[in-house]
Amino acid sequence: MTLRTLTLSELAQYNGKNGAPAFVAYKGRVYDVSSSYHWRGGRHWASHQAGTDLTLEMADAPHSAEMLERFPAVGVLIEEEVSPTAWLTGGID
Amino acid sequence: MARVAREMVEKAGINVDELVELLIKNASAELTTYYYYTILRVNLIGLEGEGLKEITESARIEDRNHFEALVPRIYELGGKLPGNMNEFHDVSACPPASLPADPTDIKAMLEVLVEAERCAVRGYSYICSLTAGKDHRTYALSLAILNEEIEHESWFSEFLGEGPSGHFNRRGSPSPFVDKFMN
Repeated sequence: MTLRTLTLSELAQYNGKNGAPAFVAYKGRVYDVSSSYHWRGGRHWASHQAGTDLTLEMADAPHSAEMLERFPAVGVLIEEEVSPTAWLTGGID
Repeated sequence: MARVAREMVEKAGINVDELVELLIKNASAELTTYYYYTILRVNLIGLEGEGLKEITESARIEDRNHFEALVPRIYELGGKLPGNMNEFHDVSACPPASLPADPTDIKAMLEVLVEAERCAVRGYSYICSLTAGKDHRTYALSLAILNEEIEHESWFSEFLGEGPSGHFNRRGSPSPFVDKFMN
């Protein structure tokens, strides 16, 4: 299966709410956790949201990344594209 | 609600609403597990099943005790249980420990039991990490529950051939760790 590329803002659309699939990123990979009991409604353990990069939060999780690998990898997280002229419109500092 | 107690927890940097939600989810997991374990225990029969009946009963009663012990802390922190039992069931931190399709399949039964305990072990480990050094009362309660959940996991794991539990099953009163939190 070919993995698609997603930026953080594209990933945010897959928040598990209102019928949207629940995707989470970890170390650059994006996983579809929609089928997980623990991600119903796009939230996990009251503290974690689908549609986000969980790489930092995983350090405090009571389980290893193996838990995520049970779910299909659907994409690769990439940097947001910044327009070369963004500085003209105050888009970047 | 224990207003100052809640303030102390907030001041320590904990998101109390999130913590209360976690406690409610775990209280639900305990009570629903108590219910589902009742069905599992009833079906643990025959030469293989009978040997598991006693530890399943101990885990069942202790999970109910965990529910009882969690409820006061939820209210102290300003939370409350949902008024609707269906809603409470559905917020459970752990999936239902449902009877396997073939109730005579003892290995399938054990897998349901051990997975339920592992979910609980992860849950209370997480709450302990979240509250350590910040919310002393929730920490002490979660640690007491965690001690019992770890024992339950090891009992069932032993039967799955994953190695010795290292201890004998319960003797005397249930909930040796959580008993002091029972009102």
